[in-house]
Amino acid sequence: MNSETLNTLDNYSKNKYKYGFVTDIDNEKPKKGLNEDTIKFISFKKNEPEWMLDWRLKAFSKWKKMKEPKWANLNFPEIDYQDIYYYSAPKGFDKKPKDLSEVDPKLIETYNKLGIPLEEQKVLAGVAVDVVFDSVSVATTYKGELEKLGIIFCSIGEAIQKHPHLIKKYLGSVIPAGDHSFSALNSAVFTDGSFVYIPEGVKCPMELSTYFRINAENTGQFERTLIIADKGSYVSYLEGCTAPKRDDNQLHAANVELIALEDAEIKYSTVQNWYPGDEDGKGGIYNFVTKRGLCAGKNSKISWTQVETGSAITWKYPSCILKGDNSIGEFYSVAITNNFQQADTGTKMTHIGKNTKSKIISKGISLGKSQNTYRGEVSFLRKADRARNYTQCDSLLVGNKCGAHTVPYIDSKNNTAVIEHEASTSKINEDQLYYCRQRGLSHEEAVSLIVNGFCKQVLQELPMEFAVEAQKLVSISLEGSVG
Amino acid sequence: MFLEIKDLSVKIENKNILKNLNLNINKGEVHAIMGPNGSGKSTLANVLAGKEDYEILNGKINFKENNLFDLNIEERAQEGMFLAFQYPVEIPGVNITPFLHSAINSKRKRMKEEEIDNLSFAKLLKSKASDLGINIDMLKRSVNTGFSGGEKKRYEILQMSILNPDLAILDETDSGLDIDALKIVTDGVNKLKTKDNSFLIITHYQKLLDYIKPDYVHVMVNGSIVKSGSSEIAAEIENDGFQKFQ
Amino acid sequence: MNIQDNYQINKKNIFFSENENIRNHREKLMNIFENDRFDKKNNESLKNINLENFLDFKYKYLVPEETSVINNNHDNSYSIVSVNGQCTSFKDDKIEITKILEEDYNDFSKNNTIEKNDHFVNLNSLFLNCGFKIVVKKNNNIKIKISNIVADDDLTIFQKNNIICEEGSSLNLIEEYENKNNSTSNILNVIKLEKSSQLNHFLIQDNSPSHNLIITSHSSCKKDSSYTQKIYNFSEGYVRNFHFSELLEINSAADLQGIFFLKDNNISNNKTFVKHLAEDCKSNQVYKGILNDRSKATYFSNTHVDQVAQKTEGYQLSKGILLSDNASYFSKPELKIYADDVKCSHGSTIGPIDENAIFYLRSRGMSKIAATKLLISSFINEELSSIDEEQISEIIQKKLVRYLSKVK
Repeated sequence: MNSETLNTLDNYSKNKYKYGFVTDIDNEKPKKGLNEDTIKFISFKKNEPEWMLDWRLKAFSKWKKMKEPKWANLNFPEIDYQDIYYYSAPKGFDKKPKDLSEVDPKLIETYNKLGIPLEEQKVLAGVAVDVVFDSVSVATTYKGELEKLGIIFCSIGEAIQKHPHLIKKYLGSVIPAGDHSFSALNSAVFTDGSFVYIPEGVKCPMELSTYFRINAENTGQFERTLIIADKGSYVSYLEGCTAPKRDDNQLHAANVELIALEDAEIKYSTVQNWYPGDEDGKGGIYNFVTKRGLCAGKNSKISWTQVETGSAITWKYPSCILKGDNSIGEFYSVAITNNFQQADTGTKMTHIGKNTKSKIISKGISLGKSQNTYRGEVSFLRKADRARNYTQCDSLLVGNKCGAHTVPYIDSKNNTAVIEHEASTSKINEDQLYYCRQRGLSHEEAVSLIVNGFCKQVLQELPMEFAVEAQKLVSISLEGSVG
Repeated sequence: MFLEIKDLSVKIENKNILKNLNLNINKGEVHAIMGPNGSGKSTLANVLAGKEDYEILNGKINFKENNLFDLNIEERAQEGMFLAFQYPVEIPGVNITPFLHSAINSKRKRMKEEEIDNLSFAKLLKSKASDLGINIDMLKRSVNTGFSGGEKKRYEILQMSILNPDLAILDETDSGLDIDALKIVTDGVNKLKTKDNSFLIITHYQKLLDYIKPDYVHVMVNGSIVKSGSSEIAAEIENDGFQKFQ
Repeated sequence: MNIQDNYQINKKNIFFSENENIRNHREKLMNIFENDRFDKKNNESLKNINLENFLDFKYKYLVPEETSVINNNHDNSYSIVSVNGQCTSFKDDKIEITKILEEDYNDFSKNNTIEKNDHFVNLNSLFLNCGFKIVVKKNNNIKIKISNIVADDDLTIFQKNNIICEEGSSLNLIEEYENKNNSTSNILNVIKLEKSSQLNHFLIQDNSPSHNLIITSHSSCKKDSSYTQKIYNFSEGYVRNFHFSELLEINSAADLQGIFFLKDNNISNNKTFVKHLAEDCKSNQVYKGILNDRSKATYFSNTHVDQVAQKTEGYQLSKGILLSDNASYFSKPELKIYADDVKCSHGSTIGPIDENAIFYLRSRGMSKIAATKLLISSFINEELSSIDEEQISEIIQKKLVRYLSKVK
């Protein structure tokens, strides 16, 4: 690689994180550490019914017997679960504010700074947002309009109070508490998150979105999201996340469950931009996330799109269980790692029903001293007649101190099912750089353009409102220019 | 002098490609360089554009009062040098329109001109494309991706007409074109030609020179220019080949 | 009988038991077996098999009565009949064949940076009871054919071979494994290619259902050398093919290919692994499998590119055809890349025979079964047509016809 390319790369790795500010606000926390009292405290703060507390405690007893899964290509010190706060809320947040006049102006200002205005006259057009600050949901926009259609979009805490029958039926139905240690942990201590129910035949007219912000120090965030799309309904949901710059690592272990009934479709997009740590690998979020969707009914469809640019560690495999005949699962992913970031991410497509189809497009870009792994499993069970999968995973290496790894698991037990898998790894193409620069683009612009082109198949799957943002984020993840 | 190449020697991977090459081009002139395969024609084009694989052994190049070696690839482009590539590379996922839009604005920025906005650019692109008989649908595609050989060349000329260079280097632009495509491409070049810009046309065959009339023809063999003259030389080569120059 | 008992009782028959270092090493291995829980879930290489059957066995080894080496001087070729893993010593100006030596024992465990705890390799080290060493001398170009014969029933063969190609030499090595008795062969080949040498290694595997074959190889390539391995597995018994290559020096190449044909309840586990440790090296890993009835197969491939291994070209391909709805195939094509100037890719497909192709052929008057057979043949056509040894080509064709005759 020539010296100029190296220079540009050097600039990139000095990338600045623009969401790294801290909101100075008093908060309320229980004691550090994880035990039954912590769970009771959370449950009490949330004013939960007893069955919910029991559910949490059961999960906790499972967690105590479990070990963290170790198979990922990740390197990090042992997590000390007793050195974490499991709940943090801005003071006086015992009840969710009724309207913005009850919300601390500092919070509103925080979200303005993050580009998520909450004031009615400024709210994002066409997007309903639920904003979560540390452990609590702060506000939900467009609530009334959604209610008219029978759509429930609220915090999970509120849903436990108001829609217990749905929670009892579906919570943990896709990700059992005892699935693995992070799902058990989340089930025991989850604080807030979003709940969505789309009634039969309703096409949700706007994007639903949750914005997660970790602010408090030494605090884990354990949100829980549950989305149910009833027969023939459609919803597109987007999740965004940021956190301040801190020298300590913070734990984020979310669980997201999706259920699509007959003929329903759920599109779930994530733009993950947690604080990735500094250029020496200090600080950053440990992101251990379990996301799983169940295509329960015939002709249902679940589509995951993720743009992963943040976190010190990413451990995340949004998956689809294709149970209903003719159901479809999709996974589109861009993962960019820089400096000392480590990402082990991919998907799992389990084909159970007949004529089920899945598609996986994964783009990994490694820079600096980072390690970027795609890990994906596609399995066809015995009854999955005429099932199909197409997988394409491409990796791009920029610089020679990083690593790009591809670990697919392909399992077929049905002789009418067809699986196709392609993968490639290469460096950024010098001929393309030369061509762009000959047309007058700077080296940095050229790299950014080519990388964005490399990711296009994935970025174009994002809802329109966010595609442009994501494109910028990809460039920022590469550039050193944004302060 | 507009472009002045003096005693240029260049090597790549221990192989001397250009040997004490001299060439002067004035404003408003069209020059053609002809030569057999491996004579160093494409190397010359790439050295002018600033490709980094080459080692300059000696010599100098002045371009519009600049020492060319002081400028990197994009600075040369912004100064008005354009290379129409022999094999334009595919860049999947990078849409043609924003790509060219960034390119033209980089140039305008350097020239301290006002940047062109989305709308006016789209208009400009459309009109230039229709001049060259390029389907509007093609402008929605990724740079060179999935283009036929002829489409790639035509698209190079479209870029040239948008960027309006002072010096355009056409590296074997005629290769792989059928007669119809060749006409469209050369037509585009002829339309662009003014008294203020210059062309350096690199070619293998005389055919291209039936459509674009050069002021000077140079014969390049073994890394040096061995003969220069008027377009009659081209006819000479067509009849007798390069043999007698070697 | 468990491993410890087997070892204690048969110690005197096992190679090198009198050497203290080796004894100590074996103690360590024994500990691994005692402490390992053989967690199948986290050890993909144990998929589909019942490891207990291999750990709980009755050790039996018999020294063969006769082995032979025949030298056909006129065409620089040699025919070796190896019985129960042993071979007559032989020496001329081109090659040298000896028994495996004490100093070769540690070779593999030392160099085995690729897989630390392979139970079958550990068993091989523990119970080593036969094996030989072939050295092809400098600048010679020769051909060797080895018939690997197991002459008795119920044998447990733990064989280790060393193959060394000295500088500038070239070897065509054809090995046949065709055994019909109720034995288990656990073979470890350690192959070294010196500068500018070349080895084309063909392995034809065609054992009866009662015979298990576990074959592991570890090849290492120095500058400008190349190792090519082609496996044709028609065995009806269990076969494990695990093959590792290390490209140690510049401009070396490894090409690991295999095709396998499974039916009935047969199981085959396959793995290839190429580690690029130097610049400008090339590797190729291509396996194709056809699975009928209730057969099961796994194929793991892995290209590892070290940080220094710039300008690497690495290619992997895994293809499987499932002929029956009870067959299953698992593949895991892995890339681990730490250098940036590389071109690496893999492709993998699993599916039935292309129905459109069947339809097309039937519309031209071919029966469904004939069309199926034709398409199976064409699936591996590339592998078959690239065999330049006519002798092998004929053998493989015959075996293919036999396999196809059972396809319905």
